[in-house]
Amino acid sequence: MSKYILRRALGLIPTMFIIVTICFFFIRLAPGGPFSSEKKIDPQILKNIQAKYHMDEPLMVQYVRYLGDVVRGDFGPSYKYKDYDVNFYIGRSLPKSLILGTMALLIAVIMGMGAGMLSSLRQNTWVDYISMSVAVVGISVPLFVIAPVLMYIFAMQLNWLPVSGWINEKGLIALILPVFSLSLPYFATIARLSRASFLESLRSDYVRTAKAKGLKTSVIMFKHVLKGASLPVVSYLGPAFSGIITGSIVIELIFRIPGMGRHFVQSAFNRDYTMIMGTVIVYSLFLVIMNFIVDILYGYLDPRISYK
Amino acid sequence: MSDTTIKNGNTVLNEFDQPVKGVSLWQDAWRRLKKNKMAMFGLVTLILYTVISLSAPLLPIHSYKQQVLEHQFLKPSLRPAGELMYERQDSLTHRLAAKEGRELNAVEIKKLSDLKASIEVEMKTLLTGEEVLVHHRVYPLGTDSLGRDLLARIIYGGQVSILIGLLGAITSVIIGVVLGALSGYIGGTFDSLMMRFVDIMYSLPYMLLVIIFMAVFGRAIQNLFFALAIVSWLTVARVVRGQIMSLKNSEYVEAARSSGAGTGRIVFRHLIPNTAGVIIVYTTLRVPSFIMLEAFLSFLGLGVQAPFASWGVLIQDGVYAMTTYPWLLWFPAIAMTLFLFSMNFLGDGLRDALDPQSKNKL
Repeated sequence: MSKYILRRALGLIPTMFIIVTICFFFIRLAPGGPFSSEKKIDPQILKNIQAKYHMDEPLMVQYVRYLGDVVRGDFGPSYKYKDYDVNFYIGRSLPKSLILGTMALLIAVIMGMGAGMLSSLRQNTWVDYISMSVAVVGISVPLFVIAPVLMYIFAMQLNWLPVSGWINEKGLIALILPVFSLSLPYFATIARLSRASFLESLRSDYVRTAKAKGLKTSVIMFKHVLKGASLPVVSYLGPAFSGIITGSIVIELIFRIPGMGRHFVQSAFNRDYTMIMGTVIVYSLFLVIMNFIVDILYGYLDPRISYK
Repeated sequence: MSDTTIKNGNTVLNEFDQPVKGVSLWQDAWRRLKKNKMAMFGLVTLILYTVISLSAPLLPIHSYKQQVLEHQFLKPSLRPAGELMYERQDSLTHRLAAKEGRELNAVEIKKLSDLKASIEVEMKTLLTGEEVLVHHRVYPLGTDSLGRDLLARIIYGGQVSILIGLLGAITSVIIGVVLGALSGYIGGTFDSLMMRFVDIMYSLPYMLLVIIFMAVFGRAIQNLFFALAIVSWLTVARVVRGQIMSLKNSEYVEAARSSGAGTGRIVFRHLIPNTAGVIIVYTTLRVPSFIMLEAFLSFLGLGVQAPFASWGVLIQDGVYAMTTYPWLLWFPAIAMTLFLFSMNFLGDGLRDALDPQSKNKL
């Protein structure tokens, strides 16, 4: 088991290497650069700027230099915001995105599995219909429609919640709208997935045996059904992470949260090479590590999977 | 003796001498689909959207790019634009006077009556070249920040969105089916290389790459299309590969192989048609996801560019104007959501109809 974990952990390094490489050359392929602008810059000045950022060197040399920097944890200076480096921006914005994403995912998993469990126990009752209707809405309606609509209703018309802002100004209440809107699509999918798998488990022989022994429903649900029925949910977590990352970009833009998504989109527009690379590397690292954890968790939950 | 007998060599009769009709997979699926109310609702809505989109140039709607600057932000109404303009100006002037605690002065009264007069007669040459009484135009769903008809923009935006959804889904399904089928049938090194590649692509944060691609290479519609198509065939390829692997050892493939059919013929003539059900379901379910992806990019300002619109562009405009002009968000959002709902219902219904035993109900 520990051997397997170690091997999988070492496998993360080539994946990250591939991501960094693809990204690096992909961005440099494009015409134009961070210093090309509407205004004509004096060629000598442009040359000096490029020399300062080592952009006059051959591409391969730049690449090797960048790899070395990244390994040491230095993402370099921002090309657009002078005087600051990328580490500063990421350090400032990452915690916000992290809180947003983690909370949304936790809520989606807990409430989704809860709704799935309830609907499977009370199949074809109003509990089932309501939670499955919410799930259909969550799957079909895109985030950038749900979030503004919720904001319009709860923040602008009813004035219950703040329109935008973050914990430091508005308190925890500022988290409610962004976190709930971000979690809705994943809540929906998890609710539908877990309902189906709970239903399947409830019909299985070992549950019938447990019932025949006279166990209480709650004991059957949490001790017997939950572990097996959570497998599809766990395997859905991988896609959910990458969805949460793109979703958080939308949410940060709509609710004006100064998180990493805003920096990412802005830097893509600005062609701020180091900033794009920095944010993508952090996002990918997060994604890759989460996928790794999901794999381990899956093996732990499903004894049929052997570690080779 | 069997229960069925063949009379005159073509009609099959059962034991009660009633004709028996063979039910093909497709008839069977259609029968099941018809019973599914939500799926039928989806199908009808889909047909409605298609008819409206295709007949858009014939419909009595305004041009989607005609700007009438005096008509900006008119609210949805069936009355002519002039009346709404006059009302707005009238209430504005009265509120201003009330705030200052006075009656309307002569200048304001004259201005209002001038406006009323001009509404009746003012002509404007439109982009199409025809000259119309411009303030007699009616905007059932209101207008946007440049005085463009929202109804027309939603219909023409829908054209763009649906087209991107369909083309994108078809392209990604074709790539996915061909690669997945070959990979599943040939197996061996080719298969493991393919699946390795798909795994790596899966672990990439590909939406981020699509965003960078669009931002860096320019926001042309073909770039958008290309960027979306290259990242979205992965799931289809995996599913089709699985199907093909379970089919490739069946008797009819064996028979084809023994009568000398080559790999290409077996894959494209025998295996792919037998996975048609899965492929159709996936195509249906990919259309809404493509529309959502395009709208997501448009929302970030990376999608379709003016004067064209897509639902995503309209929703983005709506989000920024919703505080004061909420209809700019409501109508595009409703139009898009209804379409996505219908496609999802239809996709789910098709899956249940074509593959009643399907395990992964998602």
